[in-house]
Amino acid sequence: MTLRTTRRVLIATAAGLALTTALSAPAYAEDVTLSYLVDNAPSTVAVAEQMIKDFEAANPGIKIELETRPGGGDGDNIVKTRLATGEMTDVFLYNSGSLFQAINPTQNLVDLSGEPWQADVLDSFKTVVTAPDGTVRGAPIGAAMGGGILYNIPIYKELGLSVPKSWAEFMANNDKIKAAGKAPVIQTFGATWTSQLFVLGDFFNVQASVPTFAADYTANKAKYASTPAAMKGFERQEEIFKAGDLNADFAAATFEEGATKVATGEGAHYPMLTFAVSTIQQLAPEHLNDVGFFAIPGDDAASNGLTVWMPAGLYIPETSKHQAEAKKFLAFAASIAGCDSQTAAGGATGPYLVKGCTLPKDVPPAVADLLPYFQQDGTTAPALEFVSPIKGPSLEQITVEVGSGIRSAADGAALYDEDVKKQAQQLGLPGW
Amino acid sequence: MRRPIHIWGGIAAILITTVVFIVPFLFIVVNAMKSSREAAMRSFAMPAVWRLWDNLVEVIQTRDYMVLTAFVNSTILTVASVTMLVIFGAMVGYVLQRRPSIWTGPANFLILAGLIIPPAVVPTIWLLQGLGLFKTLHGLILIEVAYGLSFSVLLFRAFIATIPRELDEAAIIDGAGPMRIFFGIILPLLRPVVVTVIVVQSVAIFNDFTNPLYYLPGNKNATVQLTLYNFLSQFNTSYNLLFTDILLITIPPLIVYIFFNRQIVAGLTAGAVKG
Repeated sequence: MTLRTTRRVLIATAAGLALTTALSAPAYAEDVTLSYLVDNAPSTVAVAEQMIKDFEAANPGIKIELETRPGGGDGDNIVKTRLATGEMTDVFLYNSGSLFQAINPTQNLVDLSGEPWQADVLDSFKTVVTAPDGTVRGAPIGAAMGGGILYNIPIYKELGLSVPKSWAEFMANNDKIKAAGKAPVIQTFGATWTSQLFVLGDFFNVQASVPTFAADYTANKAKYASTPAAMKGFERQEEIFKAGDLNADFAAATFEEGATKVATGEGAHYPMLTFAVSTIQQLAPEHLNDVGFFAIPGDDAASNGLTVWMPAGLYIPETSKHQAEAKKFLAFAASIAGCDSQTAAGGATGPYLVKGCTLPKDVPPAVADLLPYFQQDGTTAPALEFVSPIKGPSLEQITVEVGSGIRSAADGAALYDEDVKKQAQQLGLPGW
Repeated sequence: MRRPIHIWGGIAAILITTVVFIVPFLFIVVNAMKSSREAAMRSFAMPAVWRLWDNLVEVIQTRDYMVLTAFVNSTILTVASVTMLVIFGAMVGYVLQRRPSIWTGPANFLILAGLIIPPAVVPTIWLLQGLGLFKTLHGLILIEVAYGLSFSVLLFRAFIATIPRELDEAAIIDGAGPMRIFFGIILPLLRPVVVTVIVVQSVAIFNDFTNPLYYLPGNKNATVQLTLYNFLSQFNTSYNLLFTDILLITIPPLIVYIFFNRQIVAGLTAGAVKG
């Protein structure tokens, strides 16, 4: 009797337990909280917060908790450490291209090649988030950027200048601007990363004259110092300095100061990525319509084109416990609704990498100047860091030296080739 | 003849102190009152519009009142770590100084190793994960204690050497046990060096940035230094909010110093052994 009761009680309890688990299982599924790590740039955080809001409204039951990390070298360390220790968030935002290759995507990230939304992602983005084994492991977030020269439209109008298509025209414009008593070119070596644009932004011209440069460079067959077309970037930086075209405080000025200067007309040209538009919007909103953009001109006016920076990607680490829900968030980011959500939060800074996404009509002129390059074939090329895994860590210090006349262009290019060697060996590339 | 030299020396000292400490602090205060556009110029000019209050409110509200959580976390972290450092540092120093044995050599080696060998991040995280302490405040407290212990032990050991053994012996004859001797006799005599350890270590731990960054991820776990990164980023920095946050963070140590000024100075200068 007692034995039977006990058994009955046991069975009842077991059944009850099974029932509760069965009942509570869907309840659990409805209450998933994803963690999402982004860098701490105010524009990234604003976009992330808006996207979370829109995604949660469309997907009740999935909550997303935002975490931030520093950008730059500290951020790289954080991402690598958290991946290595299995503590990465369910979704994270990180650079595409060479930095993406450096976090060992084949081992650490979930394969997203089979996701249905990949059909809507432009191929140019897929190539920069493809792991060495040929699988796609990321979704696009943010807009493509152009690396070129921001210019002050009122100065151009006042002096009757036109947008230069070749380097000679650019230097001629600089002479006229200098004669008018303004600084022709703004450089801001107080923030060293801003010094690299003449070299990195010149890559369209490099690949136009040496189409195999990226592949040869990765295979250790071509060097900056021994390829005249690639040397041009360093030479031009030197030329600008020698011509005395820089603003007086070029050695100490910061990025924010440079952006303000080109907007207010203290200087005419600022070599920069187009995302600086959002900084100008924040610091000098009334001058936003005074800033235009053109690609860094090459020797030949006929082959004028733009070097493009791909936006960051969203990735899911293998260690995530909520991969199905995380994939839903990536699908949202790679949809038209996702693009609109980003535009609503951060304004339009350039074209999106998702088919069907449109920009509002009232984009700032610098962004509008960017679009024609994308509308025809053969006038854009991804920057070198997206087509080759090699990007030396000391380029910004070297370009500061070349740009302030401390080191010659030839010397700088040779030093950069040396700098790159260590990284290529670390990555274990063949031929190094 | 000597007096003028003294006066000029004093004036020079005051001037240097002003330049090194007061000028940067004034710069922080002035820029904390500006709008983001003015602060981006980073000049000493007076703000056109005074908006310290708006900046304060914005800093505190950022990321769901993260600064407030951070203050609670940093206070717990600093107080707990420094308390453990003082007690354990003094205990280890006392035993090492008073009772030489075959373990003294290896113990000294470990203490020196703690000073010399740089800590590695990933193995430490593995260890914490194994202990179930990763991403917890007590885990970070243990890390801070581990990093600070070597230095504290060295300070305590050197100081205990100046306390005569006869005191211990007298206490033993009077019937005191080991705990009584340590807490009742030795620890009170260590006051000057305890104050030194408290000052040095609490500044280091309160200002620590990299350890919380790596060992304590997550918004709920932020410490005050990490909140600076809400306003400072690679490409875009809101200098006005950054300086307001710095001002907020500088205030608690300043208040502590003003209130405990006398104790700190007295502790640092007090004679070693009384009676």
